[in-house]
Amino acid sequence: MNTALFRYDMRGHGKTGVIFLAVMSLYGGMITAMFDPKLGESLEMMAQSMPQLFAAFGMLEAGKTLTQFLANYLYGFLYIVFPMVFTVLASVRLVARWIDSGAAAYLLAAPVGKRRIAITQMAALAVVPFVCTAWAFGFCVLAAQVMFPGQLDVSAFLRLNVGLLCLQLMFAGVCFLASCVFHDARMAAGVGAGICTTFVLVQMLSEVSDTFNWLRYCTPLSLFDQQALLAGEGGAAGCAALLAAGVVTATAGCIVFCKKDISV
Amino acid sequence: MAALAEWHHVTKDYHGKGVFDLCLQLEEGETLGFLGPNGAGKTTTIRQLMGFIRPDHGTVRLFGQDPFVSCAVQTRVGYLPGETAFPPDMTGGQFLHFMARYRGANCLARAEQLAEYFELDMGGKLKRMSKGTKQKVAIVNAFMHDPQLYVLDEPTSGLDPLMQNRFVELVRAEQKRGKTILLSSHMFEEVEKTCQRTAIIREGHIVAVRDMQALSNSRRKLFTVELDTSAQAEQCAAVFSGAQVSGVHVTFPVTARQADAAVKKLAQFCVKDISVRSQTLEELFLHFYEEEEA
Repeated sequence: MNTALFRYDMRGHGKTGVIFLAVMSLYGGMITAMFDPKLGESLEMMAQSMPQLFAAFGMLEAGKTLTQFLANYLYGFLYIVFPMVFTVLASVRLVARWIDSGAAAYLLAAPVGKRRIAITQMAALAVVPFVCTAWAFGFCVLAAQVMFPGQLDVSAFLRLNVGLLCLQLMFAGVCFLASCVFHDARMAAGVGAGICTTFVLVQMLSEVSDTFNWLRYCTPLSLFDQQALLAGEGGAAGCAALLAAGVVTATAGCIVFCKKDISV
Repeated sequence: MAALAEWHHVTKDYHGKGVFDLCLQLEEGETLGFLGPNGAGKTTTIRQLMGFIRPDHGTVRLFGQDPFVSCAVQTRVGYLPGETAFPPDMTGGQFLHFMARYRGANCLARAEQLAEYFELDMGGKLKRMSKGTKQKVAIVNAFMHDPQLYVLDEPTSGLDPLMQNRFVELVRAEQKRGKTILLSSHMFEEVEKTCQRTAIIREGHIVAVRDMQALSNSRRKLFTVELDTSAQAEQCAAVFSGAQVSGVHVTFPVTARQADAAVKKLAQFCVKDISVRSQTLEELFLHFYEEEEA
């Protein structure tokens, strides 16, 4: 790790980070406020009227409890996608843009090895999932405490967030690898975002109907099993697999960065 | 003297471009010019020395180490990239502070001295700076940690003549302090002012490594003379070897020591106009080939 570079990376996160956390808070607050057992009934009626659409976003089950409700409405789509987009942008900024612009010459022409640079940038990218999930957890717990005191099952909700963290770390690994492989910033962004978006779209499609249910075996998102995590039955293995995928892809990214020619 | 940097039969092939079987040594304490037209392979050679890219064949050594693997030697190297690209959203001062911390070098006092010497305003945003100002930031960055070896890729591009002269003065001062310098350029004059020895590269091959003084002497001036009639032009051309006639214009090469004789020979003609220019690099290289073939 190089502290000067890490600090510069953190400042780079700052500007986009504030926007993403604000949007996540906005949705988090809104969805929490929407929880109402009576409203739940009407939402359920709505869901029954167009089940495929609701299923695609993981919102078919309105949820009887606040914890269920948040898991379905936030952790089915919104809280997966927002941090993911942030991660994609950050991954490009941390590696590919340095090389694409040619500014990487200054990083390389210093007594800081390629491996140290790669590890610093990898750590700086891993901060994004950690901050996003910590914020999501903290904000929702706070919002629930203010609006519906005592109704949120905090330990189940924590398990859900740990699962989300593993999923986001998997995204970060994939994006980091893409950013290390491609010298062109747009290409790196396109491939990183493309792979992650495909994972999400396949997941959405697999939820729509039984016909496409087999697709759930084609996307790592299935490993993030919200219901199992809430219930505390299983789900841990899926999270471990996601985490392992993140570690493997990020390590591969570091190896690529150390071995490849960097023409700057 | 020991070689601080060494390229041993280095080949890096970019689909026909690049460098091929390149051998070169940079001795301690010398200032070596690296001269060649754009696209000749200067930057590719330097990138291999800096460890950014690995040669396809051959070996590169920097302070006796493989620069692609070992980063510790970089403490002793000051590098000025050929392209001035900086991380966005920093001012000149912030960038230099960042680089000092990043390198783990305590060198801000010298950075400030250098900035003052080049009349650099450190408060401006890098992305809004002119090419010349960015170049100054890059120069300060290369010199601030007082390295033993300078690797300078086209260092004066973008600088105005005044600042170019200051840069030459700075390089000379560093020479006196015993520093080793590799200075690449596509401009003869830039290398001529500072270097003792010059390697000439063309299409990825080292064509010659010459003493700078000898090289300066062998570089010819081209006289172009305008005469009254084309008949006179033919007559004039007969007097000078290597002369070419185009209408009433005659162009012929003159080396430094022949200037006096040439002017006296010209006195017998009615000269309407005269212009003198130095040989371009390409013309100088042609001269080398002719020498080699002869």
